[in-house]
Amino acid sequence: MLRMTNIKKVYRTDLVETHALADLSIHVKPGEFVAVMGPSGSGKTTFLNVAGLLDTFDAGEYLLDGVNVHQLGDGEMSRIRNQKIGFVFQSFNLIPELDVFDNVDVPLRYRRLPAGERKERIQRALEQVGLGSRMRHLPSQLSGGQQQRVAIARVLAGDPKLILADEPTGNLDSLMTHEILDLLERINEEGTTIIMVTHSAECASHAHRQIHLRDGKVAEVDEPPSLVRGREPLAPGLQ
Amino acid sequence: MTLIAYQVRMAWKSLRRNPGHTAIVAGGIALGVAVSTVFATVRHSYAKDPIPEKSDDLYYVRLDSWGPQEPYPGGGPPTQVTYQDLRNLMRSDIPVRQSGMFKSFLYIFPDPKMARPQKEIVRMCFADFFPMFQVPFRYGGPWDRKADEKAEQVVVLGKEMNDRLFGGENSVGRTLRIENREFKVVGVLDEWRPSIKFYDLTQNYVQAPEQIYIPFNLLVAMQPPVAGNDDGWKNQEVPGFAGKLVSESVWIQFWVELPTAEHVARYKAFVDAYTLEQKKLGRFQRPLNNRVQSVTEWMAEVRVVPKQTTAMLAVSLLFLLICALNLIGLLLGKFLARAPEIGVRRAMGARRLDVFVQHIVECEMVALAGGAIGLALSLGGLWAVNLWTKSITQRTDFFQIDWKMAAFAALAALAAGLVAGVYPALRVCRIPPATHLRMQ
Repeated sequence: MLRMTNIKKVYRTDLVETHALADLSIHVKPGEFVAVMGPSGSGKTTFLNVAGLLDTFDAGEYLLDGVNVHQLGDGEMSRIRNQKIGFVFQSFNLIPELDVFDNVDVPLRYRRLPAGERKERIQRALEQVGLGSRMRHLPSQLSGGQQQRVAIARVLAGDPKLILADEPTGNLDSLMTHEILDLLERINEEGTTIIMVTHSAECASHAHRQIHLRDGKVAEVDEPPSLVRGREPLAPGLQ
Repeated sequence: MTLIAYQVRMAWKSLRRNPGHTAIVAGGIALGVAVSTVFATVRHSYAKDPIPEKSDDLYYVRLDSWGPQEPYPGGGPPTQVTYQDLRNLMRSDIPVRQSGMFKSFLYIFPDPKMARPQKEIVRMCFADFFPMFQVPFRYGGPWDRKADEKAEQVVVLGKEMNDRLFGGENSVGRTLRIENREFKVVGVLDEWRPSIKFYDLTQNYVQAPEQIYIPFNLLVAMQPPVAGNDDGWKNQEVPGFAGKLVSESVWIQFWVELPTAEHVARYKAFVDAYTLEQKKLGRFQRPLNNRVQSVTEWMAEVRVVPKQTTAMLAVSLLFLLICALNLIGLLLGKFLARAPEIGVRRAMGARRLDVFVQHIVECEMVALAGGAIGLALSLGGLWAVNLWTKSITQRTDFFQIDWKMAAFAALAALAAGLVAGVYPALRVCRIPPATHLRMQ
């Protein structure tokens, strides 16, 4: 699903160069649920931004669903983000002025789907996350857990192959955290690849594999055997 | 199309979210649009075609009958023709209609119960004057060509004059004494106020048309004074009014109606041939320099549009530009403050172009609102300008907004919206989505 090889990303200012990603190589197979962990500044968010085509990289090769994304233009990258990737953010990132229905509608609008199909997808996704009756509520009228479920419904409506979750439970209490992680697990069981950046070991334990980053590189990979479900072996050099 | 409709809806939500900001941006554009629309309308009121249905068929005729010593001021032929040239040119059957004309001051003696005797401006013209210039009638109609030939004492009154002299009644068939002659009223005009008094550009052409019209051919019998310009390069050789008619004085405006290009070509050739013939008789000693010009060509040559109005329009457009430029920072601040939303939209698949268009749509919506307010303000501005210029125009509706000026206001507003919005929209759409998301 995702294969990064020797990815480099450097942030430059007049005074310093920060190597956010330094020869990062990661391979995630279709259907995997991977947790990416590491201390602050280890490159987790940069990795997620590059993986989600939200940011560019300076060197290396990145194949997403078999497509080399390095030379793609804005239109093509936007199309991939729209059709293949779903984002779940720590702070939910719902648009406050739009109600639940319209928030879930955002990616579908840019896919230029007909109104009928959009409505059907939105209703189905909201039913999946248990918010079918809250379509006309504004985000401010929902709890944190409900807002995150709306964000997940927004992803589900787009039916992506890959979900990139950046600390999806970081702003939630433990009850909501379990609820969201269960939801992500269920989505993964239906075949969607999930890469989740997290600080929490407990959250990471829900993943099939934990990749630890340090200084922009893979420092360690943990694969709890009980969670591995018939996956192919990791690519050479990534273990 | 669906996406554009969506972007319009999103822009509307955004504008409602910050009503104060929206009001400031709309107000800035409204101010610029109001000022530029006022000055555009002032210029347009002079420049617009006063008779668009026929302006390509009506031609003003001028001959260079000026003396050999020096050219007529300005270098072109004199602005009017002599009586003898009018008589000769009117023998042509090429024009489908034609009329010489001039303005005179004559005493009228109405029914003492209605009004006192007074000196009035009278236009002496031919029967063709009325259909040529599409003059509307309320009662009766123009006199006919036979009345021209026989120099009948018939009169057409303007609406105001008929109101004054006959209380607004249908006065057709009634009589009016002009000087020492009884004239029969054959027609009363309806409201007629062309934007420019195009048929006589030799004097104040923003004034109202005359209120009394009598046959031109009565001039021999009545010997009326000329109230308009009367230029000459040579002393009158024969004294008195009879001498004036054979002199080289130019005091008559002459219009012909030429419905096709072929008519125009033939008529121009006729005029040149006439001049060459006159040269043989010792007249027209200057090089051939005749003009047969359409209404708009003649207006352009006379420079009906005052230079100041063009300059003021340019300054007002500059003011609009400054208004728009001042809004750039305001819009940039607003758009950058919306970084998280832009980041989410980019993450969800919005292209740079989608983000750009969404912001431009928002700018154009607020610009159109500003344009509408500006248009309303410009009505007030024009009301003031009309009052201020009433002594010159003799009316309070000379400067009026028509559909062209409304379209100008809308286009000016859209242009201002673009000027104000393009840079901020480009800035936000070029920021990488990850940066937008970091700006939460």
